[in-house]
Amino acid sequence: MTAAGLHRPAPGSAPPPGAVTRRDRAAAGWRLARFYLVSRRVPMALALLAGLGALLWSALHWRWNIAGGPAAQLFIPLTIQAGAAAVIALATFGPFGEPERAAGRWLPWLRLGTAVALTAVAFGTLAAGAAAGGMPGGTLALLRNLGGMVGVGLLTAAVLGGAFSWTGPMAYLLISEGGLAHRSTTPWIWATRPPHDRGGAICACLVIAAGLVLITVRGPREPGREPGQAS
Amino acid sequence: MTAAAAAPVRYRAPRANGAALLTLARLVRVEMRRNAMPWILPLIAALFWFDSYRPSIGAAPLYGLRTYWNMGEGHTINDFGPFVAGVAAWMGSRDGRRGLGDLVAAVSRPRWAAQLATWAATAIWAVAAYLVFVGVMFAWYAHQGVGGTPPWWWVAVGATAVIALSAVGFAIGAYWPSRFAAAAAAFTAFLALVLSYQIGFKHTSGWALILPTNFHGNFEGNAQVDSGIFYPWLPDLPIARIMFLAGIAVVALGLTGLPARAGSRRLRRAVAAVTLAGVALAGTAVGLANSAQLAAEGVVIPALHDAANDAPIAYSPVCARAAGLPVCLNPAYGRWLPDVTAELAPVLAEVAGLPGAPVRAVQVPASYPSNADGPPLILSLGGQPPVLSLSLGQLNMPGPCGFCGQVPTQEFTGQLQYLFARAFAGAGIGPGSLVQQAVQAALLLKVGMPFAAQVAATQNIPGSPQGQAPEPVYAAAQRLAALPAAARHDWLAAHLPALRAGGLTLGQVP
Repeated sequence: MTAAGLHRPAPGSAPPPGAVTRRDRAAAGWRLARFYLVSRRVPMALALLAGLGALLWSALHWRWNIAGGPAAQLFIPLTIQAGAAAVIALATFGPFGEPERAAGRWLPWLRLGTAVALTAVAFGTLAAGAAAGGMPGGTLALLRNLGGMVGVGLLTAAVLGGAFSWTGPMAYLLISEGGLAHRSTTPWIWATRPPHDRGGAICACLVIAAGLVLITVRGPREPGREPGQAS
Repeated sequence: MTAAAAAPVRYRAPRANGAALLTLARLVRVEMRRNAMPWILPLIAALFWFDSYRPSIGAAPLYGLRTYWNMGEGHTINDFGPFVAGVAAWMGSRDGRRGLGDLVAAVSRPRWAAQLATWAATAIWAVAAYLVFVGVMFAWYAHQGVGGTPPWWWVAVGATAVIALSAVGFAIGAYWPSRFAAAAAAFTAFLALVLSYQIGFKHTSGWALILPTNFHGNFEGNAQVDSGIFYPWLPDLPIARIMFLAGIAVVALGLTGLPARAGSRRLRRAVAAVTLAGVALAGTAVGLANSAQLAAEGVVIPALHDAANDAPIAYSPVCARAAGLPVCLNPAYGRWLPDVTAELAPVLAEVAGLPGAPVRAVQVPASYPSNADGPPLILSLGGQPPVLSLSLGQLNMPGPCGFCGQVPTQEFTGQLQYLFARAFAGAGIGPGSLVQQAVQAALLLKVGMPFAAQVAATQNIPGSPQGQAPEPVYAAAQRLAALPAAARHDWLAAHLPALRAGGLTLGQVP
């Protein structure tokens, strides 16, 4: 028995550091991103966002808002925007918990990238849905309202956990509904403000910025006693 | 013959049934302890305060008006329903999300029974919370001295809506065990409630009355009438809505018992029958709503109507005097008695002693505007000796008034005096004859209300506001008002029957 064979790497073992090519790293990065997106059910989230875009198109095209003042005209688009925000917030929830956090160096960037990308997709699909015409406030209001509500959803995920992050946009939707009915003027209920209102836009931007920072740095809260594994 | 054969046969079925019930109760109790619903209740409580209670305290302290927003428009359902549907979906999807479907399908009890226990625990938490929150709100109203009786039937509708939404959410979760199921159920529930509210704008009668948040033309507070004060809240429409919502709940729960894993074939057949019964119940309720008619005291459904509910609520009036005349109101309106007497006193004094002048004033119920000529007169004179009838429920009383903000006492004064002058001149529902308008304007001039204020007083009175009268009317009014009191009194005493009959011309006004 000689030591000559020891210099040859075993089949399947990791190549030495110098041998890792840029292509290998890109492939590993792509695989990591893909696994991350699948574990967060991003494909399903994309399908749901597309469905919400179609729902908005139907609501505007067939004029489901059949009566009421300008405030009543906002209810259905706002509900759909809040639904999109809830989908994005729910996609932050990971099933692996501690092991993933311990091993995942890129996790904060994956969380940030996913949230931003899904928000962009949501805006795109809803803007496409709004092409049916008659969207109250136009595209600018859509961007502000959606962005703000995504922020509310991400903040809720950071505070309550990803599984119940939908409660934030839903609660905010109810508050907006009350605000619209009672002609509230606070910029924190941005849906009640005109599309070009600076105060409403600033508040919505602050909320989404806070949500993105929290979800990037801390991730969604993972309670000690999980009420149920998300699928 | 053996001893064993001679021994009496023991009938064990009751014990077995008792044990099954005990097991089910234990299962429900375990599910209640492991349920996610209590964790959401603080959020619902905050929203309930913000969206259901807070806006209501801006309305006048009468149950019909205080509960118009939260019970009539269904905001208590809006605040509970989406969250209950979402949490129920989360609970319904539990086994699927955890990959326990095969495992739990192999246990001794039917899977459906265990699912029902999970749903029941969720629904018990939700309904108990709904009743507690509404109960606390009504207790606080009572503490604030809100007049009338609470609309308990509408509370029952809300509780049934919570049950129905929990069942629908649970079914969504059971069929789609995904992290997105809870949000899908919640937003679907909210969208359904918003559409129900929206449809009501155009459909104030017929099948749409069955929709749980359609309040247009059916919640009595909508017409500012006196349900729970002069007559009971009619239960007809609430009963139909309860039937509809219960039918939906039965259908949703039945659907969860249809898949093969739910239990034996026999059980599934029974569940299918129950599901069909739920469809029939909901369909029957829609049919009943379609037959609804508007009556003076609310929505009547002939098949459900109980004549006992038409009996007025007995009360001891509260009375005071205005220009020497007794003025009596329902105790629910007692807080406004000083306002009413103070504002009627000048116009009553102006006509005191005339043969057609009222000898007393009494409050009468405001009725639903069901007659073909429009709403009944708010103030009217009738009987012998004449009695002034005050249907105050049709007016916004001084103080907070919900969406209309705050009613100043001065505005109420103008409305009451204007309406009295109209009633005295016999103007009826329309603007009245030119002479009636002139006499009315003269009376109001004498109590210090200029012509512009007379026009302004009509703006917030139900019905179409009246514009300026023709110039000859104002000229005649000024002539009549300029007469000495005795001369005006004599002219009115001589011409009042002809005036009320509309038989005079402006040239006959002195």
